Amino acid sequence: MIQQNGHAGAALWPDGNRSAVALAFDLDGPTGDAMLKGTIWSRPEYFSQGAYGPWRALDRILALLDAHQVPATFFTPAWVVQTWPEQCRRIVAHGHEVAHHGYKHEKYWDLSLDEQRQVIGTSQRIFQDVLGVTATGFRTPSGDWRPETPALLAELGFLYSSSMRGEDRPYRHHGGQLIEIPARSDMDDYASLAYTTNPDWPSGGDRIAGYEPTLDNWTREFDGYHAEGLCLATIFHPKVVGKPGRAALLDRWIRHMKDAGGVWFGTCGQIAGWWQQTQELEPTA
Amino acid sequence: MTYLQEPPVGRWPGQNRCAFVVTVGFEAELSVLAAAPDAVDRAKSLSVGQYGGNRGVDRLLAELARFGTRASWFIPGSNLLTYPRQADAVAAAGHEPANMGWALEDMGQQTLSQQLESIGRAQDAFDVLLGISPQGFRAGRGSFAAGLPEQLAGLGFTWSSSWHGDDLPHFHAASAADLVEVPRHHELDDFPYFVFNLDPPIPKGSPRIASSREVLRNWILEFDAYLAEGLCFVLTLHPEIIGTPGRVGMLRQFLEHVNSCSGVWQATGGEVAQWWRQNAAPNSPSHPAEIFHTLTREGAPA
Repeated sequence: MIQQNGHAGAALWPDGNRSAVALAFDLDGPTGDAMLKGTIWSRPEYFSQGAYGPWRALDRILALLDAHQVPATFFTPAWVVQTWPEQCRRIVAHGHEVAHHGYKHEKYWDLSLDEQRQVIGTSQRIFQDVLGVTATGFRTPSGDWRPETPALLAELGFLYSSSMRGEDRPYRHHGGQLIEIPARSDMDDYASLAYTTNPDWPSGGDRIAGYEPTLDNWTREFDGYHAEGLCLATIFHPKVVGKPGRAALLDRWIRHMKDAGGVWFGTCGQIAGWWQQTQELEPTA
Repeated sequence: MTYLQEPPVGRWPGQNRCAFVVTVGFEAELSVLAAAPDAVDRAKSLSVGQYGGNRGVDRLLAELARFGTRASWFIPGSNLLTYPRQADAVAAAGHEPANMGWALEDMGQQTLSQQLESIGRAQDAFDVLLGISPQGFRAGRGSFAAGLPEQLAGLGFTWSSSWHGDDLPHFHAASAADLVEVPRHHELDDFPYFVFNLDPPIPKGSPRIASSREVLRNWILEFDAYLAEGLCFVLTLHPEIIGTPGRVGMLRQFLEHVNSCSGVWQATGGEVAQWWRQNAAPNSPSHPAEIFHTLTREGAPA
C-alpha cells in the first residue's frame, strides 16, 4: 500500500481530517469555442444548452450544497457573470468561492502573455463590479496554458490555480508562489456525461455513460483518495451534472463522502490557503 | 435534509406534479443521409434508417397503444410521401402529427426563406395527404435562423421542441411570445445512445452501442427527479432506433415505471404548450431565450 498521502509525519489536513475534497464547478454557460468563433449565434439550441447551466442548474446545485452544508468553488467566465449577474451573486451570497475561468472560456495556450493579462484584467474588473469580489483562484479553460502563465498569475495576485492533472495533492508551481490544486479528468463530468451535437462533443460521437456506473467510478475514486489521505478536486459543470437526474447522483455521492467521516470539504481557495501556510516553500513539482 | 424544493401548486393541471411528453422523430433514412450525404445510393446504410418505416413504426405504435400513450410525431414532409401507410396509421391512432421541415435539412445552414420553404412544403403535404395542419415544429438538427420563431407564430404554429435551455416549457422572445418551446435533452433521446452504422461510420468515432439496461436506468433516474421537482419530462424516440424487438421492451419497462407513478400529467406537446400559454408567467429577462434574442436582435454580436 502507498504510504498515506506521501508525506511523512503529521496529518496534511486541518482538524485531524483524513482527506480533503474541493467541489469545483466550471460555470461555463454558453461560452467556449463556438462563442469565440461566433458560430453560436446561428445555433440557438446550442446556446440554450450552455445557458441551462446558469439559468437552471446553478440554483439546483446551490440548494444541494446548502442541504449538505458544504462549500464549493465556481470557476466562472466573466461573460457569464456579466450576462447572469443575479445568479452569480447568489453563488457569493451562499458562501461559495467564485474564481476565474477566462472571459469567454479562452484557451490560454492560444493567447500571448499580453492577451492573457488583458483577459484576466477585464475579468477581474467584472468580478469586482458585479460581485464585489477580487478573485484569487484561476482554472485555465481546457487546461493548457503558456509556460509563463503561472508566474503571470502570481504577479497578478492569484493564490492558486486548479488547472493541472498530474497530482492528487496540492503543490507549488516552480518559483514557489502559486499553489496548484490539481483536478483529474477522472473527476470531470464531461468525460462521462456531456453530449452536444454540432459542434459534436465528444468529437467521435461517443455515448452518454450510464449514470450508475458513473457514480460508481466517482465513489471508487473518493474512497481511494480518502484511504490515502489526498485532495480530490472535481471538474464538474452545472450544465452537465446539474440536470435533474444527475443532481440526484451528486446528492448520493456527497452523502457517501460525508458518511465516510474525516473529510475536509473546502473551497479551492481555503485548501490553497491551508497549503500555503503549512507546507514547505520548495516546489514539489 | 433534501435539496429538493416543492414545486409550486398548480403548475400542472389538476393534482398533477409533473408533465410527461413522448415525442417521436420519424426520420427513417433521412437521419442516415443527414449524417452521411454521400450514402444516397448505399442501400445497406439507407436500410439502417428504413427499418424505422418498415418495422419500427408499427412496433412503436403498438407499444404506445398498450399504455394509451399519445405522442407527438414529428414527420419530415418527404416521409409522408415515402411512408404514406405509416403516416396514416400514426394519425389514425390519435397521435399528434407535427412538422419537422421537409427532409431533415440542417436549418443552421439555411437562410430564413429556405427554412420557411421547407416548413411550408411539409405543411402543404400534411394538408393534402392527411387533411391536417400541424401546430408543432421541431428543427431537424435544432437550429433556427434568426426570425424563425416570429414566422412560426405568424403561420399558426403554437409550439416548438428544438432547444435545450430549460426543463420547463418557456416562451420564445418578443413578438414570438405566442410560440411555446417544449425543450428536450439529449440524455432523454434514444438516438445518441443507440444509432449505429458501421460504414460510413455513424457516429463518427464508431463508439459501442450503449447498454439498454443502463439507458433505462438513466431515464428512470431522470424521470424520478423530474417528478420530484415538478418538471416537464420530454422523451424523444425514433422508430428506427427504439423500434427493435429488444429495445421496445426497454421502452415498455420505462413506460411501466412512468405509469406506476401518481401525479404524472401525460400529454402531447401541443397540450402542454396550450396549458403553458394559458397559465404560465412570461419569461424572466434572464431566461436563455430572452438573452439570446437580446444579444442577436441586431445581428450576431461582436
